[in-house]
Amino acid sequence: MKLEIKLQPQPHFKKQVEKERRKIKRIDVDDIGHIILFLAALTGIWQLIFSLGIFPKISLPSPAMVAQSFAVLFANATLITSIGMTMWRLVISFSISIFLGVGVGLLMVRFRSFGKTMSSFAVGLQSFPSIAWVPFAILLIGLNDFGIFFVVIMSSIFSVMTSTYSGIGNIPTIYLRAAENMGANGLSLFRFVMIPAATPSLIVGIRQAWSFAWHALIGAEILIAASVGLGHILLVGREFQLMDQIIASMIIIFAIGFVVDRVVFNKLEDKVRSRWGLNQTKE
Amino acid sequence: MLSKDESQSLQNILQIKNVSKVYYSNGGGDSVAAAYNEHVVLNNVNIDIKNGEFVTIVGPSGCGKSTLLNIVAGIDRTHSGEIAIYGQSTDSITTDVDRNRIMIFQEAALFPWLTVRENVEFGLKIANVSKDKRREIAIHYIEMVQLSDFADAYIHQLSGGMKQRVAIARALALNPKILLMDEPFAALDVRTRQLLQKQLLQIHQSTKKTVLFVTHNITEAVALGDRVILMSPYHENIKKEFRINLRHPRQLNHPIVDAITKEILQESKDFEHNEIGDKIAATATF
Repeated sequence: MKLEIKLQPQPHFKKQVEKERRKIKRIDVDDIGHIILFLAALTGIWQLIFSLGIFPKISLPSPAMVAQSFAVLFANATLITSIGMTMWRLVISFSISIFLGVGVGLLMVRFRSFGKTMSSFAVGLQSFPSIAWVPFAILLIGLNDFGIFFVVIMSSIFSVMTSTYSGIGNIPTIYLRAAENMGANGLSLFRFVMIPAATPSLIVGIRQAWSFAWHALIGAEILIAASVGLGHILLVGREFQLMDQIIASMIIIFAIGFVVDRVVFNKLEDKVRSRWGLNQTKE
Repeated sequence: MLSKDESQSLQNILQIKNVSKVYYSNGGGDSVAAAYNEHVVLNNVNIDIKNGEFVTIVGPSGCGKSTLLNIVAGIDRTHSGEIAIYGQSTDSITTDVDRNRIMIFQEAALFPWLTVRENVEFGLKIANVSKDKRREIAIHYIEMVQLSDFADAYIHQLSGGMKQRVAIARALALNPKILLMDEPFAALDVRTRQLLQKQLLQIHQSTKKTVLFVTHNITEAVALGDRVILMSPYHENIKKEFRINLRHPRQLNHPIVDAITKEILQESKDFEHNEIGDKIAATATF
């Protein structure tokens, strides 16, 4: 309440913000240290099991053998093209999924009875295993990229849909009233109030949708037998008993998932939450 | 020459004419008649407000004061009667929301994804005011509410009192003719409330805006208003009007304020036999 009465410049204010920021950065560095330690321990255990000779070499190669396979895959550009191809598929199908998901979500808001029915339906479809779409996609569309797109879209679109629906549906009426009172209506209300007000919920939904899309994409690449892609390396690896390649590809799949979720979405969600004032735990 | 009627309406910036409001709720009966419960909120209310006047409406919860304010703001619809601004019915301008009356809500209703300055600029942005111009206007009003140091802060970084000051700046930025305030200081602590009351009076003095201010706090109503309208929950209408002949700039704790507060309390004695009455009496003194 001191700030209220004094009404004088508050030099601490900016300093405090700066301090908080620095604190967050330090935690980041600590986190990375812990992750490296964890990975080192994991590799150690792996090496130990390998050295004990429980499994034949062909079933469980050593970390060094996998590293070598990495180098080979990298040198002959298989890895780069595979990552590129998989990411390209992801970007295309995930964009379509967000676009259509937000669109249908808005229709659900506009037509309430449709929204009610669709949202209970969508919740059911969210837990529908993505791989179960594959035979349907193969027969309907074929063994091609479009079949893969279909599986990815069907696996992720419902999360986008429901988060759009609930995000916009749960905007406090007072925001809309205040905005309308200040002259916002139709498009301006939508653009300047509804979209930003629903953003935190939308980001949570898109993050979940990304995770579903990623699962579906790798699964579909294996089962629809794409010619290139991270899933394809797994498929070939299984057929030719190239366990080192399989593990190398798995590591890449894990790393991409980790980076996108931890770095991209975590940062984005954190930024949005703190800006929207949803992180009120400090001090 | 203007006719008497016309000159009257020019003087009265806001006219509330025979406004009634009825809510229907589903009673769950079998017959059509029994299926609806009729609940009268406002019954034929008439108020004329002069340009630049500071009018406060006070009454216990359930007397319809907030509903009345919402109707004036155009947020709620009347059942019958009309709201006129400079003699022109607002019904004729319902499609394009006019910004001649801006509402300030109890919970500031600021947008958390915008900074203080962006919040103040919001209505101007909607009205397609150029970027430089709206920045200039926003900074002016942020200064007026003494929040210049917080222009780039986000809403969650502010205290409750600061939030209400931003809401006031945001309303003023649109240069409305009438400020509508729905218990804007009810959620604040006593010291902050007094500070904001003082600031509001200063702003009223310097901008000469017409203010319609709803509260359930009698002392607040008397301290701020040129005219206090006491509403009764039983008649869904005005019980009595009090003119506060105190010159501006005012002192909030002037003896006359106390005297009139007591008088209004006396007047609302007939509410006292139920809990509504207790509530209004309890909030009259700090």
